[in-house]
Amino acid sequence: MFGFNFFKSKDKTRKTPCPEDLGILVFENTSEVIQAENLLKSRGWAVKVMGPPPGIQSGCDLVIQFPLIEHLVLMRQLTEAGIPPLEMVPVTDPLLKPVDLFHTKDFGAYLMVRAANMKLTIEKETKIIVNISGGGCPDVPYLARKMVGNHLDQAPRPGKIGHTLCGYALELAYEEINRQCSQ
Amino acid sequence: MSKIIDARGLSCPQPVLMTLDAIASGTDNELQVLVDNEASRENVTRAAENKGCQVKDIQDEGADTRITILKG
Repeated sequence: MFGFNFFKSKDKTRKTPCPEDLGILVFENTSEVIQAENLLKSRGWAVKVMGPPPGIQSGCDLVIQFPLIEHLVLMRQLTEAGIPPLEMVPVTDPLLKPVDLFHTKDFGAYLMVRAANMKLTIEKETKIIVNISGGGCPDVPYLARKMVGNHLDQAPRPGKIGHTLCGYALELAYEEINRQCSQ
Repeated sequence: MSKIIDARGLSCPQPVLMTLDAIASGTDNELQVLVDNEASRENVTRAAENKGCQVKDIQDEGADTRITILKG
C-alpha cells in the first residue's frame, strides 16, 4: 500500500503545484523501481531514476522522480499495474531532494562513471572499455568479460545481456558515459 | 627486468589503470602486480589479457595476490 506523505508542510504550503514541481516515488525494492520506470517511460512520462534523498528512511536504494502535477494519474497507473509505491513524496525540502545516481571521476587518460553500485571505466582517447567493477551480482564477471576491451559503440549493452540489478545499474553507467562522450 | 606495481589497498579501477599504464609506458618486459582483493585480481588479469599480454603466474601470498604479467 502507499501513503501520500506531505511530511511537515501540511498547513503552510498547500499551493497548487506548478509544472516544475517534482515528487519522488519510493518503492519497496529495486525490482519494482525498474518495473515502474519501464511502465511509466513506455507511456511517455518524464520520469527519472535517482538515489533516495537523505530525508527518506523507507524503501530501497532507488527512487523515481516525476512531475508532481501528474501524481494522481501516475498513482492510478502504478496501482492498476500492481506496483504501487510505498510512498509518494513532494520535494518540498532540500533533505527530500533525490540525489544523482552518477558519480564521474577523471583519471587523466581514463574516465570512470559510477551508477549506483557499478563502475564503468574507459580510455578517453580510444573509448575502449578498460574496466568494469562493483556490484556483487553473479553476472558481473560475465558482463565484464563481454564488455571489457571493446569500443563503447561496439560493446554489448549491459541492459540486454545482464540479468540482475547490477546489469541494470551498469546500463545506466553505460548510457551516462555515452552521453558525456558525445558532448 | 621486472617492475613491481603495488596496488594493495586500492579499489578498482585503480589497480587496472596502474597496470595498463605500466604496460603502455614501461620498458620492463615483466610486471608484477600486487593486489589484495578478488575483484582487482580478476580485473587486472582480464585487462592484461585484453592488451595481448600473458598472465604468467598468479600467486597467493597470505591476504595478497601477486600477478606476474609478461608484455606481449
